[in-house]
Amino acid sequence: MKKILGILLVVVLVVGLLPLVAGCSSDTVDPLAAKVRLKVGTTTSLYDTGLWSYLEPKFEEMYDCEVDILSLGSGAAFEYAKKGDIDVLTIHSKADELKFIADGYGIERVPFAFNYFLIVGPESDPAGIKDMSPADALKKLMETGAGTFVSRGDNSGTHSKEKAIWAEAGYDYATQVVGAGDWYVEAGGGMGATLTMANEKNAYTLTDMGTYVSYKSKLNLVPIVNSGSILLNVYSVIVVNPDTIKTLKHADLAQKMVEFLTSPEIQELIGKYGVDAYGIQLFTPCAGNEPTQ
Amino acid sequence: MAEIWNGLVEAFRLIFTFDPEVMSIAGLSLEIALSSVVIGSIIALPLASLIHFNNFRGKHILVSVIQTFYSIPTVTVGLLVFVLFSHSGPLGGLDLLFTPTVMVIGQVILVMPILLGMTISALSGVDRNIIDTARSMGANSWQTMLVVLKEARFAVIAAVVLAFGRAISEVGLAMMVGGNIRGFTRVLTTAISLETSKGDWELSMALGIILIFIALVINIIMNRIQQRR
Amino acid sequence: MAFIELKNLGQKRDGRHILSGVNLSVERGESVALIGPTGAGKTTLLRLLDMLDKPATGKILIDGVNVTSSEKERLATRRRMAFVLQKPVVFNLSVYENVAYGLKWRGLDRHQIREKVNHILETVELTKYSKRNARTLSGGEMQRVAIARAIATSPEVLLLDEPSANLDPVSSAKIEDLISKIIRENAITVIMATHDMAQGQRLAHKICVLVNGEIVQTGNAQQIFELPKNREVAEFVGMENILDGVVATNKSGLAVIKVGGKEIETVTKFGAGKEVSLCIRPEDVTVALARLSSSARNRLAGTISWVAFNGPLCRLEIDCGFPLIALVTKRSAVEMKLKRGVKVYGIIKVVSIHVIERQD
Ligand SMILES: Nc1ncnc2c1ncn2[C@@H]1O[C@H](COP(=O)(O)OP(=O)(O)OP(=O)(O)O)[C@@H](O)[C@H]1O
Ligand SMILES: [Mg+2]
Repeated sequence: MKKILGILLVVVLVVGLLPLVAGCSSDTVDPLAAKVRLKVGTTTSLYDTGLWSYLEPKFEEMYDCEVDILSLGSGAAFEYAKKGDIDVLTIHSKADELKFIADGYGIERVPFAFNYFLIVGPESDPAGIKDMSPADALKKLMETGAGTFVSRGDNSGTHSKEKAIWAEAGYDYATQVVGAGDWYVEAGGGMGATLTMANEKNAYTLTDMGTYVSYKSKLNLVPIVNSGSILLNVYSVIVVNPDTIKTLKHADLAQKMVEFLTSPEIQELIGKYGVDAYGIQLFTPCAGNEPTQ
Repeated sequence: MAEIWNGLVEAFRLIFTFDPEVMSIAGLSLEIALSSVVIGSIIALPLASLIHFNNFRGKHILVSVIQTFYSIPTVTVGLLVFVLFSHSGPLGGLDLLFTPTVMVIGQVILVMPILLGMTISALSGVDRNIIDTARSMGANSWQTMLVVLKEARFAVIAAVVLAFGRAISEVGLAMMVGGNIRGFTRVLTTAISLETSKGDWELSMALGIILIFIALVINIIMNRIQQRR
Repeated sequence: MAFIELKNLGQKRDGRHILSGVNLSVERGESVALIGPTGAGKTTLLRLLDMLDKPATGKILIDGVNVTSSEKERLATRRRMAFVLQKPVVFNLSVYENVAYGLKWRGLDRHQIREKVNHILETVELTKYSKRNARTLSGGEMQRVAIARAIATSPEVLLLDEPSANLDPVSSAKIEDLISKIIRENAITVIMATHDMAQGQRLAHKICVLVNGEIVQTGNAQQIFELPKNREVAEFVGMENILDGVVATNKSGLAVIKVGGKEIETVTKFGAGKEVSLCIRPEDVTVALARLSSSARNRLAGTISWVAFNGPLCRLEIDCGFPLIALVTKRSAVEMKLKRGVKVYGIIKVVSIHVIERQD
């Protein structure tokens, strides 16, 4: 027993100290650890659909670097970027993006793909909002209180879109919607988590098409509202401005990410992504142009 | 119910086929938790001895403060480490945020109170006569300290094992400062959290089972140690 | 110059003097017993000798060098000594490792250590327990480990604090044998604390009686037994008759002392009016049924108030205005039909009475 304990201790020590030793030598010896690490802050929808896991190795191979994908709500992504902890953003929150650039934190907003938001909910449609306009649907939810609505509640792009729809419906989000009643639930999580929660609660929620489709097989939720120009969902890539945030080291590589995402080959891959698996196009490529409808 | 069953079956398949993703996540978890505890112990054991063997003003207060921090919330440590290592923070220049290294740093901070406090109480549990005996046998102060540590070794190991349990099972800190980056900073707990939120129960369960297994091993070691005392 | 010299050594704890004005010199190879009642300061003194504590006053000289000054010197001095503590504790390690530690700390190599430890374990008859965890040993075996641990380092001075206390008579005798063997074979200097007078007598050349933190008497066993310096020492060495009285007359040394209405003659330097105590050993009291004429001057009439047989001896108390304990053989007690209520005479020779000054 004593011997075993001793051996165990040695093993623990060796294993425990290994990364230390490796860490010390990494700069010179270990070719893997020496690679540049590009930090990409992404909206959860691009991550939860699996698009990033699909594209990441291609970029890494092309530029011989490591890409660290941080799946965040758009709100958090902006904040991390402002603190200099992220090199590139891929997000979908136009108004916030424009402000981010106007404030000097981002260089340029380059749209690279789009799809649509939709309101999903239980097949029974307890509030009877099927095929209404998005604003009317939310208005009816508010007025009747029939049916539950799960909001992302995390300042993500999807959340911003929800706020925009509330505004169109004539409500002030902060004062009239938040805390409106038990039927309005703020999840505070990613798109996938929010869909999972809505499913558990038999609730409505606003989701992007891509995440919904890739989660569809696990959900009992069906599309309730899916038309209206306000539901347009544009994904863009923004390089964080190294002139404003002096600590950034990989601005050139970040710029390469923009080129990569808008390149014809990758655009084609984005357009095809998920078609085989889900039988439906998740993203429509738009190579640097703002889609109008 | 069927879903849970299927999940379990798939989970065991992932484990017993040594699914590379599952194995790499579990491996990283072990590595990070072990590093944290080893580094933490290297710092904490001498420091605890120093505190125990010296009498100074405020010693009691210091010890109670340390004990208060046994259950410091992981997210609090996460916040602290994040603020320190963010590029806008004082240590941002080290470029460590969202790396395994910073997770280790955070976990070292996290387990430090447990290691310090429990080592101090382990040392206090050693008969004062042991110290006199060692000194009378010609031990200098350093040798005396080692002998007392050795005397308290079972309780000290228990502290280390407990610290390891806390390190490997925490999620808040790993998520906040590690960023849950696949293949780089994704550990068992953050992976379980993510996969569950994605509704991907099979992987979650496989990882959960591994975590339970690790906890079980820890428990067995703890019991063994307790019996030996 | 003596080997070890204590000069005005004193210790204070919680503002109280627990040891004061200790002067003592010990020669090389001498063995000294510190005896005294519990709380007398024996352990305190040994701890000072082993440099475990710093004295409040005074100094310790070894070969004429003051060794109480620097920490470095204290460690060096400590390494010339060994101390078996009153409450023996063993390290939670094997018996072998327990004994080896002191050698390791002195930087001996493995080979030397093995040789030495094995030899010592043989001496204390613990070879077969070498690998056992010392915590699992019996009290007597643990004490042997403690002694082995102490002598393993070949100390010049061996300090023992009640080495056979808390042991049964057999284990106690074994430990005592071991110690006397060590003393014999190593010509080592030993200072030991004990409250067993007989043990001190068996093991030590010199006895120091310590009471209330002060050395009240130093001498060989016979001097202490027969001529205790004061009432405390007398009580401690097992003097059963300590009679308080006042000197009535003193004619050139031959004095008459009034005790409880009776007069007792003895030899003393104390003059008339002096308050004194008389120490009389029970075996020095002869019991007679008649007022025999003998050379003894003191014949005290009284009645037996109790009788207790104890092996071949009989202990009895004669009430002669004050209680007087006498020790006679069982045989004579039977012959004389001594029992409660019998009127007898207690006969005491002048020279058997030791007079000490009475303190308040
Ligand atoms: N650290 C301490 N703090 C306060 N008082 C102490 C301390 N150490 C010893 N004393 C007191 O000093 C006195 C002498 O103690 P010491 O242990 O030397 O007695 P001792 O002669 O060895 O007695 P025993 O035969 O019971 O072992 C006791 O009254 C004890 O209570
Ligand atoms: Mg004592």
